[in-house]
Amino acid sequence: MKADAVRGHLDAMLLAVLEPRPLHGYAVITAVQRRSGGALELRTGTVYPALNRLERLGLLRSRWQPVADRPRRCYELTDAGRRHLVDARSTWRDFTATIGAVLSSARHAT
Amino acid sequence: MSAVRDVDPVENYLATLTTALHGPARAKAAMMREVRDGLDDAVEAQTRFGVPRVQAARRAVRDFGAADEIAPSFQRELTIAQTRRTARVAAVTAPVLVVCQLLVHTAAVDWRLGALAVHLAALATAAGLLAVTALVATGPLTRMLPTPHRLPLAVAWTATAAAVGMALAAVALGVTSALSTDWPVTALAGVLATASHGVVAASARECRRCVRAGGGAR
Repeated sequence: MKADAVRGHLDAMLLAVLEPRPLHGYAVITAVQRRSGGALELRTGTVYPALNRLERLGLLRSRWQPVADRPRRCYELTDAGRRHLVDARSTWRDFTATIGAVLSSARHAT
Repeated sequence: MSAVRDVDPVENYLATLTTALHGPARAKAAMMREVRDGLDDAVEAQTRFGVPRVQAARRAVRDFGAADEIAPSFQRELTIAQTRRTARVAAVTAPVLVVCQLLVHTAAVDWRLGALAVHLAALATAAGLLAVTALVATGPLTRMLPTPHRLPLAVAWTATAAAVGMALAAVALGVTSALSTDWPVTALAGVLATASHGVVAASARECRRCVRAGGGAR
């Protein structure tokens, strides 16, 4: 799946992989790839500014902490970020249900 | 150093990205450090599977994306950070300019100096109000409203105008000090206006550079 296909959904995916625990940038990238079963071809350079933007929006907070003896910038969800993720999941479910209904009704109509 | 860059795609890439980006030094340094960490991790992950380091570095850089395609997203964040910094500086120093102008207006022995003071005070008030608006728009309101694309440019030029106003205020205060008997207060205000001019002008100049580098806000 090309990077263009995930545009518009990147924020929600980043919030989702950060939901269980704080992660640094590269760990976020590998988590997205792992969850997608390797199907997503993210340009990794798009993830870092997106994390910075989500932090500016107050959906994430970051702090430098040691990971494998190296200080790394780790991100975690804020309360606003958790609420945003709940909304994003709900919007996504509605969206896929609607599109799914249209696509299947095309099959039933014939 | 250049020999290292020739053989190390990561160093070469970081140098290109660093040159392309403008913004607050601390924010930019943190951003570049994070990028370096990410690229190092990507290289390390591949070398663990036996990929030669140079080849792993080339792949990490390719997966990261071409610097000219990636830079605008990074620049957008730095531009907003610089816009907020410039707005903060303008919001703090604009009242200084207003007080300076009140001093000129009160102590002025020439009516032209008094009239100039009134105009500069109006300019400072307008700059201060826009600065506070920019801080709110890029801060608490940012989740509800998208940051206006031209806000960084507006803040940059308003701060530039405020910096010019501060330079004029410093001159007016200098003249007033020379003609007034109560010169220590106006001279002190002149020094304050000069210092404010330096800080605001430097921040406004960096904000203009950020905007030129292509970092509008979204």
